[in-house]
Amino acid sequence: MDRRTMLSRVFKPSPYSPGASKFTNALLRTQDNKEVRFYDDLIKGKQCVINMMYAECHGACPLVTTVLKRTYRELKDRMGKDVFFYSISVKPQDDTPAALKHYAKMRNADLPGWYFLTGDSYDIETIRYRLFNMGHPGIDLDFAMHSGTLRIINDATNYWGHAGAFASQGNIMDRIRWADPYKTGAEWAVYARNLQTLIDKDVKKYGYRRDV
Amino acid sequence: MPTKKAKNRQRIEKKTEGTISRRSVLKIGAAAGAATVLAPNIITSKAAKALAFDPIPPPLVQCTAAVRSPVHTPFVDDLPVPFPALDHPLSPPPQEVANTGAGEWPRANHQRWTQFTPAHVTSELEARPGLHTFHSDFGPSYIWGFNGVYPGPMILNRYGKSTIIRFRNSTPPNGDNTFGHPEITIHLHNGHHGSESDGFAGDFFPSGSWKDNLYPNCYAGLDQFGGNGDSREKMGTFWYHDHRAEKTLNNNVMGLNGMFIVYDPTDPGHEHPSAGSLRLPGYYGVTDFPLILTEKRFCALDAQGRNEMVNAAGGDKWIVNGAIQPKLTVRRRKYRFRILSTGPTTAQWDLKLIGPTGTSASETMTVVATDANFLEHPVPVDDGANAANSNAVVGATIVTPGAIRVNVAERYDVIIDFSKYSAGDKLYLGDFGAGRSQNVNDTGSGNTNPPGLPPGLNIGNVIMRFDVVALENWFAADTPDLPATLCTMPDPVVPDTTFEWNFNRDPVGAVPRLFRINNRVFDANVPQHCIIKGTSEEWFIDNNDQVGTNWAHPVHIHFEEFRIIERWAIVGGVFQQVPVPVLYQGRKDVTKVEPGEAARIRMRFRDYTGRYLIHCHNMGHEDAFMMVAWHIVPDAAAKAACDALIVKANQEFEAKLRNEEVS
Repeated sequence: MDRRTMLSRVFKPSPYSPGASKFTNALLRTQDNKEVRFYDDLIKGKQCVINMMYAECHGACPLVTTVLKRTYRELKDRMGKDVFFYSISVKPQDDTPAALKHYAKMRNADLPGWYFLTGDSYDIETIRYRLFNMGHPGIDLDFAMHSGTLRIINDATNYWGHAGAFASQGNIMDRIRWADPYKTGAEWAVYARNLQTLIDKDVKKYGYRRDV
Repeated sequence: MPTKKAKNRQRIEKKTEGTISRRSVLKIGAAAGAATVLAPNIITSKAAKALAFDPIPPPLVQCTAAVRSPVHTPFVDDLPVPFPALDHPLSPPPQEVANTGAGEWPRANHQRWTQFTPAHVTSELEARPGLHTFHSDFGPSYIWGFNGVYPGPMILNRYGKSTIIRFRNSTPPNGDNTFGHPEITIHLHNGHHGSESDGFAGDFFPSGSWKDNLYPNCYAGLDQFGGNGDSREKMGTFWYHDHRAEKTLNNNVMGLNGMFIVYDPTDPGHEHPSAGSLRLPGYYGVTDFPLILTEKRFCALDAQGRNEMVNAAGGDKWIVNGAIQPKLTVRRRKYRFRILSTGPTTAQWDLKLIGPTGTSASETMTVVATDANFLEHPVPVDDGANAANSNAVVGATIVTPGAIRVNVAERYDVIIDFSKYSAGDKLYLGDFGAGRSQNVNDTGSGNTNPPGLPPGLNIGNVIMRFDVVALENWFAADTPDLPATLCTMPDPVVPDTTFEWNFNRDPVGAVPRLFRINNRVFDANVPQHCIIKGTSEEWFIDNNDQVGTNWAHPVHIHFEEFRIIERWAIVGGVFQQVPVPVLYQGRKDVTKVEPGEAARIRMRFRDYTGRYLIHCHNMGHEDAFMMVAWHIVPDAAAKAACDALIVKANQEFEAKLRNEEVS
């Protein structure tokens, strides 16, 4: 996709997307105090990576923010165009937009296409549950859970995936790629040709297909 | 990249091959009007139209609500028997190097190609949408199945007959209004073959492409024993299924799995005397049946006249071979059933057979094989004299006395001798695990038992019914008594080294709570262990989750079979060795570790190199990261390079924990 098509891109959801009924269309605020609707403005037709955090967290949150920064660098050309990061506060009562702005700035993470979000605590609890529930009360009712999981969604293809934030960077990139929009036959052919070249190189070097 | 012209040519070639693929039938259908002379008589244009698999419309609405399935009447449908796949030539012919120009997905070259080709058997399985009726009270349901059917076609195969299966992905390329994902990779559980044919979870291929898997049907130990390997490594009941990372659960619930049987002289697929034959009941579909178990939930009849499957892992209807509470007519003689649980998640089947006398005493089922491998001696299981043979154990306690516990992906081959019963008797195979029941005809308050059930039996526990009739003269005569010894075990493994795998989801320091193995999530490109081909190891498989949590893990190891030499559990607060149930003493490829339990196993890594997996076979857990790659490497230099990958990944992991930016 060239730059012009990307900029003019209309975010088209999958006809099978569960839409706001699953994601909710809760009114959230960004670190710039801009009002956004969770489904309509943030999810609809987009590929995104979502994590839960809060500004005063001294455990996993800053570590995950670092990981996302690295990921951001690798996805720089797509960020804010067809890939978005959402860091949602699980302590919205403490995290005002200003507090989140401070958090993002302090960590050099106040970047285009990366939104830090706060809102009504009931709404956020609903979002957290809907996005990260594992069908187990021991996990699902504990708000400190999932801080290390990145939820990967592509609403254009109705894809749900996830990555462990502490996995290798290659693994995180793999999993975001696994959620990419469906390729056309011609795009797959190019992809396949490159893949076969990598495999052959690998086999030549190590005697077996190793890390592609 | 193939040109459009070349692609068309391939398409044409495909159409002219001798098989009735969906496309060729469409072609025949089109041609039939113009030139009926060319089509075989049987394919009139009307018949061709009926065969032409009109594109199947996806569900109108995706059912996600936790509804109760509609009511069904028990025991009206016959047990379906998956139809065997046909052997037919492939076009273009299979080749050692990936035929990417013709649409084959990239892979490493087939290992041992010259040894095992030309293949004796070739066949194609196309993953595509289909409609399947799970019960005659229901409308059809939208599924994805191999060749459009569920369960997938049965592959009947023979040791020494190398086989190439072309897996073609014709799932809807843009997804569909369903929960399957149109990228697949097919694992043969638990074949001894190269990594490129093993359905590695990261090697999935998109809709429109295909991949040849070479199944040599050899015994493990090719290098060591020469020829076709060590015949003591014989296996019988395999199954094939999708293994796409993150989406295994979805695609298996959609229906992408089937059974695969490999015969050999001891178990030849027939019953008449032949050299070395154990003479077990062995006519497929006559005296030898698969029982492929799963559970599903269905929505109410929709506007398309369908009862769609609910997008959920569990279910309130138990399915055997794609039918809800079917019946099977059996003669007064011995039968073999190959029981497989396809899960998909927490389902564990504590199977008992209930006869006319009722639940006060269960009837005997004799286990001859576990996970495709013969036990040394047949093991009868019932809740009377043979209650202690049950493997439904937690710690050292049998929790469902007399039951055969079938965990996800495990196979149990059992012999049932119906000659003990009278014509007209009915027997019931059921799951009697604590809390297990399907909501048959449930109106919210309890089950309605149909008349005629044996005393004590609740219809909600019943999987299927056997109707005993006389053994007519024209039917195959009964097989002899079971031999006392079924096989000779391979030589004990002398491990070269040991390794430990910890399965858990509990927090360690700042590491978040995910389903992990050795603190790692599934990474297709980073192994956690490197093994030189031809060596053997002892592995300690430990479930670190606390006792009392319900995180039990049926652990599956790809490639070779292992033997459990020790089981450990916390009994009375002390972590100690506990007995290995007799059903776990044979060769296995799945071992379930309950919370706080562990197993010590030994296995060999012979003949092939590449990437293989160890994972929890609860498909929810494996999709949620509980899977790890390990590599078999050709030599010490490759091992050093492989170990370096692990070291690098560990450094990266630790740097992340220190909140350092890694470049």
